Amino acid sequence: MRSSLRSVPLLLLALLVPLACQKAPPTSTAEVVVVGRASLPSDPNDAAWQDVPVHPAALLPQDLMEPRLLKPTTAEVRVRAITDGTRIALRLDWTDPTKNDLPGPARFSDACAVQFPAKVTAEMPGPFMGEKGKPVEITFWRASWQAVVDGRGDTIKDLYPGAAVDHYPFQAAPLEKDPQAQREMEARYSPARALGNPMAGPRERPVQDLIAEGPGTLSPAPAAGSAGRGRRTEAGWSVVISRGLPEGLGPGKRSQVAFAVWEGSQQEAGSRKMRTGWIPIVVEAKR
Amino acid sequence: MARVSNWQIGREMSYWYPEARPKRQFAAVFDINKCIACQTCTLACKTTWTSGKGQEYMLWNNVESKPYGFYPLGWDLKLLKELGAQSWEGGAYQGRTIFEAAPPGSRVLGWRPDEMDYANPNVGEDDCAGQIENGANLTVPHLTWFFYLARICNHCTYPACLASCPRGSIYKRPEDGIVLVDQGRCRGYQECVKGCPYKKVFFNPMTGTSEKCIACFPKMEAGLQPQCFVNCIGKIRLAGWISRPEKAQADNPIDYLVHVKKVALPLFPQFGLEPNVYYIPPIHAPLPFLHQMFGPGAAQAIATYRAAAKDPDLAGLLGLFGCTERLIPRWRRQGDTVMGLDEGRKEIVRVPMREPIYTLPAVDNKYGVVRTNCP
Repeated sequence: MRSSLRSVPLLLLALLVPLACQKAPPTSTAEVVVVGRASLPSDPNDAAWQDVPVHPAALLPQDLMEPRLLKPTTAEVRVRAITDGTRIALRLDWTDPTKNDLPGPARFSDACAVQFPAKVTAEMPGPFMGEKGKPVEITFWRASWQAVVDGRGDTIKDLYPGAAVDHYPFQAAPLEKDPQAQREMEARYSPARALGNPMAGPRERPVQDLIAEGPGTLSPAPAAGSAGRGRRTEAGWSVVISRGLPEGLGPGKRSQVAFAVWEGSQQEAGSRKMRTGWIPIVVEAKR
Repeated sequence: MARVSNWQIGREMSYWYPEARPKRQFAAVFDINKCIACQTCTLACKTTWTSGKGQEYMLWNNVESKPYGFYPLGWDLKLLKELGAQSWEGGAYQGRTIFEAAPPGSRVLGWRPDEMDYANPNVGEDDCAGQIENGANLTVPHLTWFFYLARICNHCTYPACLASCPRGSIYKRPEDGIVLVDQGRCRGYQECVKGCPYKKVFFNPMTGTSEKCIACFPKMEAGLQPQCFVNCIGKIRLAGWISRPEKAQADNPIDYLVHVKKVALPLFPQFGLEPNVYYIPPIHAPLPFLHQMFGPGAAQAIATYRAAAKDPDLAGLLGLFGCTERLIPRWRRQGDTVMGLDEGRKEIVRVPMREPIYTLPAVDNKYGVVRTNCP
């Protein structure tokens, strides 16, 4: 009995020592420093992030063109980056007391995005969605898509548990033996899905690969190579976005990156968002 | 912002894009006096277009009782309140449109309905404007009133949904003026839902895009009237094409009703969208209410409608409502017969202005039967 009591403080000490040793990651205020690693972490909880420098990026309201966001919301996004030589993973952390991951009328999802110039040239594209002839590549993560990837069903009852639906015509008994006819009829009542609009699902990833050449021109990228994983934290969101290393970015090389965060509880969507300008990003030279 | 002309408010106004009128403009006339709120139009639309997942709450067509019915809740009152009191001087609107009253950061003055605003499509149904006092039924006109307002997208000349979309995902077809959301391009920002004063764009949570009334364009392209028109059992609706007032043609049924007789009026013209569904106002509702809802022409429209019995052209044309599925871009009256014609003035349909009356005697000696009317 006595020996077991004596072991309690030892056990506590054993638990506390690693916590005390876990230093706050270094800060890189001037630029995003991309650290080289053998493999990319896909989860924000991965221990690989612990000693990666954090860049605190101040966010400003998009108040340059209509529809504008006039009231600042999310103040800052903290960014870390790791590369394995071919791909880059960026971890974005921000404070958000409200979890918004349900789509619906007047319901908006929390979201974030990472933007790179499509080509590294002396003349950078405009930081706000690029400009004509100077495209930008954007990876967009949305909490409502993460929830579906994490297992939430894709039916109205999953969004509104109290919903009662009398009948969908494509589920009528005479069609049950013909799944093809059923699918065709369902598609007729779901034009966005029938047209292959990536907003419409079905959803396998919580991110979208997009390109833009100026405000209002956002469109799906020809190739979809991005991945993402977002987790709700005590303070807000922690999201990892990974994609192919942008053109011109390699060991010792520099480019620019920009970020955006949408606060669902404030009905932020599209151009109503908090965003940064271009921020320098540098990949560590090989050791 | 561009300067554009809006004949419904009798002046130029500001709009997000320059004036670009379509080759021809889809338009409709709804005779409110004939509507019985059976919602057959609503169901015709629902089964045709919005029976899918995520469309459960959508009513591209709805019929609400005025003054206390709304879908979504308070759609008109909320915007009227935001806009504040405005005034007309004769046929010219002195106040601000929703484009001119746009708050900083937005392209139009609007509001976004909450989920619960869509929860009561039948709110206010058949509710009178006031208490019915003892003996009130003996007073004509009745002091208490309500009327049915059937609503679809107005396929506006200056759509606020189109102006609101930062992506240009909403377009107005140059060939017929029908306003559509490009379902391949929409990213579901819901700016259009906020911007449309009539609240006829709906967000689909299952597809992540916004959807709206398409004026049954596949039918219109085939020369047929939309589903909510041809299924209307009260025959209150007529679809067609409207010209600008200075180019009005009396043998175009819509032009005749809107421009020549001025018996059909736009819904909330003061918002500035130049909406293209025109209403023959209810003859029994108070004029100040109708003035606010349909503009300064309400009193004259009612007087003209009341006199229709002595106006064979107007009475005849009203008889063409709901008599054929085909579009009737032209019409003419010959004696007691009114005809719907195609663009080449070829007859499509013929309607007698007075149906023959058959009197069946209670005791029919010819057939040896006794007929009984059930009370």
